[in-house]
Amino acid sequence: MNPEAKRPPPAKSVGVRQPLVDGVEKVTGAARYTADLAPRGALVGAILRSPVAHARIRGVDTSRARAMPGVRAVVTGEDCAIAYGVIPIAQNEYPLARDRVRYCGEPVAAVAADDAATAQAALAAIELDLEPLPAYFDAKSARAEGAVPLHESKPGNLERAVEQTFGDVDGGFAKADLVREHAFHYAEVNHAMMEPNAAVAHWDAERGRLTLHSVTQVPYYVHLALARCLQLDESAIRVVKPFVGGGFGHRTETLNFEIVAGLLARAAGGTVRLELSREETFLTHRGRPETDVRLKIGLTKAGAITAVEAEVVQRGGAYAGYGLVTILYAGALLHAIYRVPASRYHGFRVYSNTPPNGAMRGHGSVDVRHAFETMLDTMAGELGLDPFAVRRANLIDAPHRTINDLQVNSCGLGECLDIVERRSGWSDRRGKLPRGRGLGMACSHYVSGSAKPVHWTGEPHAVINLKLDFDGGITVLTGASDIGQGSSTLISQAVAEVLHLPMSRLTVFANDSVVTPKDNGSYSSRVSFMVGNAAIRAADEMKRVLVAAAARRLEVSPDDIEWDGERCRVVGTDRELGYRDVVTEALRDAGTITVKGTWSTPPETQGGSFRGAAVGTSAGFSYAAEVVEVEVDEDTGMVRVLQVWVAHDCGRAINPLAVEGQVQGSVWMGMGQALCEETQYLDGLHVRANLLDYRMPTIVESPPIDTSIVEAPDPNGPFGAKEAGEGSLSAFLPALTNAIADAIGLRLDELPASPDRVLEAIVARRRAERVRRAAKPAVQEAD
Amino acid sequence: MERLPAFELKRPASLAQAIEWLAATPEARAIAGGTDLVPNLRDGIGAPPVLVDLSRVPGFDVLEVRTAGARIGAGVTLARLASDAGVAAALPAVSAAAASIAGPGHRSVATVGGNLCVDTRCVYYNQSEWWRKSNGYCLKHRGDTCHVAPTGTRCHAAYQGDLAPALIACGASVELAGTRGTRTIALEDLYRDDGRAHLALEPGELVVAVVVPAQPRGAVSAYRKARARGAIDFPLAGVAVRLAIGAGGIAAIDVALTGTNSRPFRLAGTDAWVGRAVDDALLAEIGKAVQKQVSPMRTTVTQSNWRRQVASVEAQRLVRELAKASA
Repeated sequence: MNPEAKRPPPAKSVGVRQPLVDGVEKVTGAARYTADLAPRGALVGAILRSPVAHARIRGVDTSRARAMPGVRAVVTGEDCAIAYGVIPIAQNEYPLARDRVRYCGEPVAAVAADDAATAQAALAAIELDLEPLPAYFDAKSARAEGAVPLHESKPGNLERAVEQTFGDVDGGFAKADLVREHAFHYAEVNHAMMEPNAAVAHWDAERGRLTLHSVTQVPYYVHLALARCLQLDESAIRVVKPFVGGGFGHRTETLNFEIVAGLLARAAGGTVRLELSREETFLTHRGRPETDVRLKIGLTKAGAITAVEAEVVQRGGAYAGYGLVTILYAGALLHAIYRVPASRYHGFRVYSNTPPNGAMRGHGSVDVRHAFETMLDTMAGELGLDPFAVRRANLIDAPHRTINDLQVNSCGLGECLDIVERRSGWSDRRGKLPRGRGLGMACSHYVSGSAKPVHWTGEPHAVINLKLDFDGGITVLTGASDIGQGSSTLISQAVAEVLHLPMSRLTVFANDSVVTPKDNGSYSSRVSFMVGNAAIRAADEMKRVLVAAAARRLEVSPDDIEWDGERCRVVGTDRELGYRDVVTEALRDAGTITVKGTWSTPPETQGGSFRGAAVGTSAGFSYAAEVVEVEVDEDTGMVRVLQVWVAHDCGRAINPLAVEGQVQGSVWMGMGQALCEETQYLDGLHVRANLLDYRMPTIVESPPIDTSIVEAPDPNGPFGAKEAGEGSLSAFLPALTNAIADAIGLRLDELPASPDRVLEAIVARRRAERVRRAAKPAVQEAD
Repeated sequence: MERLPAFELKRPASLAQAIEWLAATPEARAIAGGTDLVPNLRDGIGAPPVLVDLSRVPGFDVLEVRTAGARIGAGVTLARLASDAGVAAALPAVSAAAASIAGPGHRSVATVGGNLCVDTRCVYYNQSEWWRKSNGYCLKHRGDTCHVAPTGTRCHAAYQGDLAPALIACGASVELAGTRGTRTIALEDLYRDDGRAHLALEPGELVVAVVVPAQPRGAVSAYRKARARGAIDFPLAGVAVRLAIGAGGIAAIDVALTGTNSRPFRLAGTDAWVGRAVDDALLAEIGKAVQKQVSPMRTTVTQSNWRRQVASVEAQRLVRELAKASA
């Protein structure tokens, strides 16, 4: 029997619920993560961390550690005098502190030793001479008059102040029928991804080459930072990303331990395994900053927004990282979800003596969205409008150019609203639930990749190579980092769809810098959109090559070939050619074929020309609407989420199974921040750097999540697709707190709504009511 | 988590040998499931040169529930205790407490003896060696200041075991074995209100078994723990109640608490409620008594006042529910 006959029929791949292509390895335990990769005999690396939050480094005495048997390398700030950072204009972090330490847990020195016990003993033998400086653990004290600047060039500890005004703000508020202003406070949260940080660095002393395996989401940025800090030619470095157990933004910039691993390997002249503990992984941080939001909104009687003014203060931690992007996102994403005719934004990113913040799922948008959706809810109540009505009064009609120059080419938010309203039984049930139970709703959105790349090199945003060889298999070469979100599967689906081939013909090979094309990495939800587009274009090119070969063999014009993957046919005839015969023809004389597809964002989606305009720009925005039902125990303050209804507009669900997983994951992560997750510092020491006290919800708290996919295709998206991994997060928080308000009539001004905070607010309200009641007779007497 | 320090693992085949080995090395520690000890060792809390594994000690895994009472070996796993139908029928509070501890993985190896002897906990103590050293250590381990109450002289780490209150409410005793023989004491007497030395065990002395007497006719019991999440977490406050209602109102009431003090303890003054009806006035008194006798300190990341209030709320709820169930 012809082996071709056994193959499945030509597959339709897009829109199919496709189990992840790397899922089998993960569920069977065969997948090897960074910590699994160190060869026998690798040295053990360990990092010495600052015991204080702010100090001048007078000396780091490593002589005793260096003299210990089994210690192969000791490195300190002396070994790298070049600052790094993900934003080229804000690089102020060293892999090992120099001159000053700025937070408890900052790496100061590192050792590589024959075994873990020796490494720990060596760390204990290093003596730090530190001269304490005043330390600041909140934005207010860091900004106070006379505060010692963490960075000499940043007086007042202000990393970045943003002032943006669009449209006639004062006129907008004057036109409004209702203007309200309110302040909110948000605790800092962390990604708490499952896999702790680890890196394996190998220094080839003969050739002066470095190979690094790491848990990164952005191998290209790690590559650049290694070259910079180790002063190596970029071609002398190889970066490999193996299986990665999540990231959520923690790994969207080069992290200190990655460079430290490289420094240690070079100093030791060998291979170093550097595994961080859970606590150290928390201390590496890059989470969502502690944030204060003061928001003012003007609405007409009909609920239309007339103007918005926001002040956002973020405690950004000790170093810049993504900080200026976070503070700009917070302002930019006030827009592109509703029509906002006028806005004013004051953003303050502040340095503090806490671990550096960074990008985290929903980067920059989450806390501000909570404030916004909370106020829409309360103001709708004052205007006698249903919460759904006030959102509908402000829907964007795409295509739409926002006043801050963001281009919205598709928006399915209206359909999202309709779906969750219907599925939750909102109009029948809202207001009729017993006390203690409530329904709340909210909306959110997110970018599908940042239209302007962090590093402006002039290169395309995304490149995919396809390699076709004698076996008929196509290897998809990509630098896109699959960290569990399913990007390798999506790329396969895109290629298979274009070529009409079953996915069994495809193998994805990702993230090895000596083989795979450069990719900016997995952040800002860019991969589906950008790399998906590049994959389509690469597959188009491969199809062109294959159709030409088929035409040659069948002696017709390529226009006469009807391509159907496993076989093709001359139009209008029964003359067929099997896929393997086409491949043989294509490879004749030419040999192995490699084709390429690239993608860059269209200029009209790259934003305006004002300072900071590049942030928030995207070729496509996703949208989500959510309804949350809760039960609040007024005696204990415990909030239980009974059910969530979510509808997410991802343009086109290339893999509906993965979209649902991402949407539910977003809801769940939003639930963590809303209910129970927070970091906490005592004199700068992270008290909750473990998974007992950093309280992520467990499966017990996980509610049924009714997930609907809305497809408002984006003209620029691959098959119309937009992002699916972040947009549903932000809506959960306000939907939850709006539901709490519906249940017990109480609004917290801060998150998370942990039971102690909720009970405290309930008790305070009772006390206030008692005082009011007690005061009444006195007033009557006075009359 | 850091690597474990080096130790010698000894596996005695008899209780006598276990006691002998524990007594021979003062810093030796007994290990069964290891779910409490191992994380602490990884955090650098102690470096015992010898660990004495109790898993092969004969009789440690006895679990007998008879009409005359129950005998629960120290080596019985929490999973087995939680799933035993006899325990669930006779001692529902104990069954519920066992089922509420940590996660399924922990319960499959963690034991009754280990849970009763679980170390006290504190945010200043359950941290890495680096953390505690950076903070100048604390009174419980290597330091001389209790950061929870720096002006005081005692350690305020909280006892957060779940089984103890349920067993105390059910009138349990513990059999102890040591170099000077065996003795049986009331379970509440196993504990002292000192976070640094909360167990009244002599050096080398082990908990061998828990003995629970036959429950009074008509008595019902339950356990409830307050925590931020519905799984994994230690109790921020835990309450066990055993209640018997007779023709003239309450015939017997026992309340025990955990998570709020350095020891689990029996609520004092409950005898005054015998003969009373379970009504709002009584519940308010119970709530007040709990609020007065618990003393949560800032040992957890959750506010201590919440723990106090919720201990009181849960005690009242349990009494109300049990009264309804036995009506």
